[in-house]
Amino acid sequence: MPKCTIDGKEVEFKPGENLITVAKRAGVDIPVFCYHPGLTVVAQCRMCYVEVEKMPKLQTACSTNAAEGMVVKTNSENVKKGRAGTMEFLLLNHPLDCPICDKSGECDLQDNSYGHGSAYMRHSEERRTYVDVDMGPVIEKNMNRCIHCTRCIRFGDEIAGIREMVAVKRGNNVDITTIDGEALKTEYAGNYADICPTGSLTLRDFRFRKRAWMLKKTASICEGCSKGCNIELQHEGNVVYRTIPRENLEVNKYWMCDEGRFNYHYTQDETRVLEPRWNNEKTSWEDSILAVKTALEGKKVLFLVGTDLTLEEMSAIREFTGLYYPGSVLQHFGTPGIETSAQDQPADKILKMTSKTSNLRGAEKLGIVPHNPRVDHDFSAAVVFTGGRAVLPELGHAIQVGVGVFLDKDHQTAKYQHILPGLAYTEKDGTIINHQGKEQKLKRAILPRGRSKSTAEILMLLANKKTKVGVA
Amino acid sequence: MSVEANTPVTKLFEPHFWKDSNRKLEYYLDKMDGYKMAKKVLTEMTPDQVIDEVKKANLRGRGGAGFPMGMKWSFIPKVDKPKYLVINADESEPGTCKDRQIIRYTPHALIEGIIIGSHAIGCKHSYIYIRGEYAREAKLLQEAIDEAYAKGYLGQNILGTQNTLDITIHRGAGAYICGEETGLLNSLEGKRGEPRVKPPFPAVSGAFACPTAVNNVESVATVPFVMRMGGDNFAKLGKIDKSGGTRLISLSGHVNKPGVYEIGAGSMTLRQIIEDLGGGVWKGRKLKAVVPGGSSAPVLSADEIDVVYDVEPLQKVGTMMGSAAIMVCDDTTDMVKLLLRVTKFYAHESCGQCTPCREGCQWMESILHRIVHHPHDGKAKPSDIDMLTDIAGNIGGKTLCALGDAAAGPVISFIKKFRPEFEAYVRGDVKERVRHA
Ligand SMILES: Cc1cc2nc3c(=O)[nH]c(=O)nc-3n(C[C@H](O)[C@H](O)[C@H](O)COP(=O)(O)O)c2cc1C
Ligand code: SF4
Ligand code: SF4
Ligand code: SF4
Ligand code: FES
Repeated sequence: MPKCTIDGKEVEFKPGENLITVAKRAGVDIPVFCYHPGLTVVAQCRMCYVEVEKMPKLQTACSTNAAEGMVVKTNSENVKKGRAGTMEFLLLNHPLDCPICDKSGECDLQDNSYGHGSAYMRHSEERRTYVDVDMGPVIEKNMNRCIHCTRCIRFGDEIAGIREMVAVKRGNNVDITTIDGEALKTEYAGNYADICPTGSLTLRDFRFRKRAWMLKKTASICEGCSKGCNIELQHEGNVVYRTIPRENLEVNKYWMCDEGRFNYHYTQDETRVLEPRWNNEKTSWEDSILAVKTALEGKKVLFLVGTDLTLEEMSAIREFTGLYYPGSVLQHFGTPGIETSAQDQPADKILKMTSKTSNLRGAEKLGIVPHNPRVDHDFSAAVVFTGGRAVLPELGHAIQVGVGVFLDKDHQTAKYQHILPGLAYTEKDGTIINHQGKEQKLKRAILPRGRSKSTAEILMLLANKKTKVGVA
Repeated sequence: MSVEANTPVTKLFEPHFWKDSNRKLEYYLDKMDGYKMAKKVLTEMTPDQVIDEVKKANLRGRGGAGFPMGMKWSFIPKVDKPKYLVINADESEPGTCKDRQIIRYTPHALIEGIIIGSHAIGCKHSYIYIRGEYAREAKLLQEAIDEAYAKGYLGQNILGTQNTLDITIHRGAGAYICGEETGLLNSLEGKRGEPRVKPPFPAVSGAFACPTAVNNVESVATVPFVMRMGGDNFAKLGKIDKSGGTRLISLSGHVNKPGVYEIGAGSMTLRQIIEDLGGGVWKGRKLKAVVPGGSSAPVLSADEIDVVYDVEPLQKVGTMMGSAAIMVCDDTTDMVKLLLRVTKFYAHESCGQCTPCREGCQWMESILHRIVHHPHDGKAKPSDIDMLTDIAGNIGGKTLCALGDAAAGPVISFIKKFRPEFEAYVRGDVKERVRHA
């Protein structure tokens, strides 16, 4: 591999890699604003200056590819002066309202200002101000904070496949806005807030709910569809506040869809069933378990597992049914119309898949067959396991036991004689297999809520011979 | 060095200026040997032979950077993709009005140049990007193009050969930045007139992502003369190394005879141009300053004008030839106000995509505005002067395109050379302010 030298360190590089990437490998962070590894390079912000031997001018590292024998300095006096100049320019018209800005604490402008700017201001002219447009439900715009990096424009153009963010006017008056001031249309709008290096585009869903630095972060996987976008769940005090995408070049690159991003809300819905229920009355776990066991005794049972469950959960259920309900039927359900992974197709040109559950491939791997509502099954009791995302099947009048995540507002709960509350994807560890066949790990971000229990524990209770029927 | 006595031709364009009928095809055919070279090139010469001739001619780009034309054409890769010759008729650098002369009076030289250049780089469709304000010129040019189509010099099987060449005029909407070649290409493609990050250079990925040469009107209109005279003879019109042929100079400001003049490249000093061609400073006044290459060129003071007027000598004295537009300032010129005006232009014309230019140019304008319009109320401070220089230093050489340099150069040079005027302003010494320098 060819080599170049960055701040005295020799580094190998692949031809075509830019100096930002190569420097990072050498442990050198070059400050950037407009550069984003998932977007085209425009070299507009002029923050990433470096000095390249034999080149008289400072070069922008984002638009300079490493070359054999290239000698780069990222911290010379010249570079520092250049960066400080850019920082000063960027802050001339910036409101500096960090205390009331939602980006504060995770803001590139703030970080780079501390790192490379000056504590003093020479500017005494009046600041430029803009009128903001209403960008719709996902994103809040605050144009005064914008540094015109055009990441948002490029995201729309290049990733979301929709030209909705644009630059209008020119020079000092450039306004970064939507075409004709319309609301954003993309179903991937949340990414605008992620990539905006300032508080100019913030997530309405998250604004003012928590300061960024108070959040704890757990790397996990989105359960919104079979894509399995890599995410970070951000939470505090056992409450999830936000989901952001995590880089995985083989799966979701740097992005996620809004459906997946805001999916976590149902797990914290106030109508979520968090205590065992028996005929729509709250009850104790002991009573519930006994009642369920009684109800199932001697019956031909249909066990249904949602393809929103983890591999571990499905396999425990399979083992359980084989051991304790031999002769029963075990099937999976999830997205109506998408019963096999062969039917699961890209739902758009970006990320979304048609299977709206995460683990269809997992169910198939375990040999579980799809539930076919059109075929009459000869059963007198049904137990439905769900993570909360799978679309619950219509089961007629058989005794229904629900295990997992149920919401009263979905108007399904009343149909279940028994509900045993389980864990949502934010509350458990486990493995899911995405549409590509890639095994990925869910990580527990927060503790179980209410009196809900893990699938494994519920199965254990149901299997326990000591729990006798009729004992209160 | 003086022009050799036996050189028959010393001016290529100027003799044909100022008469409307000269723009007609018959004139070009009768009086200027028109389209013979196009025919010869298409039938007898390979592209490489054309490029070699242009290289021998030492023909430098007339758009501003003075880049050797032959070299630029030789960069166009021989790949299986459409290739474009795009003519830069944006002529927006303040003070520049030479391309307008060519379009008005010798448009067929441009068209023949396009035919020859297109052969050299393999172009089948050439675009002329003309500034929006040149409405009349766009019309005249279209008339000339129509004449050429009618005669079969353009279109299919041009000049009786197998070659195809179309020319389309694209009118700009009035942005200076669309004269920068990549801003021009974006505008041509219907995008915002914003310069592109380079590399890739237009030679590799230009118009519609295909190999493209962007050339100034004068550069291309000169090519038929190169072919007529032969590269070597053409080169000899230039009186200095590396610059062949003649240069059209737009002389304006406080001279007795402003106008567009043609000189052998490097054949005169700046003083000779002002005195011999321009008839000296007007109204019997004294010279104070000269902006030698369009408003972006760093200013020269009165004692710096004994410099040969060409690319390298001007570079040596810290300025540039640019678009060869000379602006002369007499001793009543208020250099602070002039700098405000120039700075305002660049701030207004900044496309706004890169930080130092978008923010810095406006800031410099605001400071200069304070200095000029608030000399008495303490809003302008002595420290503003050095701050301006420092800000300009943070813009120059640091922007995505050369507009940043164009904005920074005047600020740095005006303050360096006429500092007492700036100091008088910030002192509130209005009577004194012009006398200095
Ligand atoms: C801000 C800016 C404005 C420019 N404006 C013009 C122009 O109006 N006309 C022009 O021919 N070149 C202009 N140029 C130079 C072009 O970028 C380019 O170098 C030129 O068209 C190349 O032609 P040439 O090689 O024939 O000189 C400008 C450059 C900059 C940076
Ligand atoms: S809104 Fe944000 S992402 Fe868009 S240009 Fe402004 S700072 Fe950049
Ligand atoms: S595409 Fe699928 S996995 Fe990715 S964020 Fe959206 S719903 Fe989640
Ligand atoms: S230097 Fe000015 S005109 Fe050129 S790209 Fe930057 S902002 Fe646009
Ligand atoms: S990150 Fe390189 S110029 Fe913006």
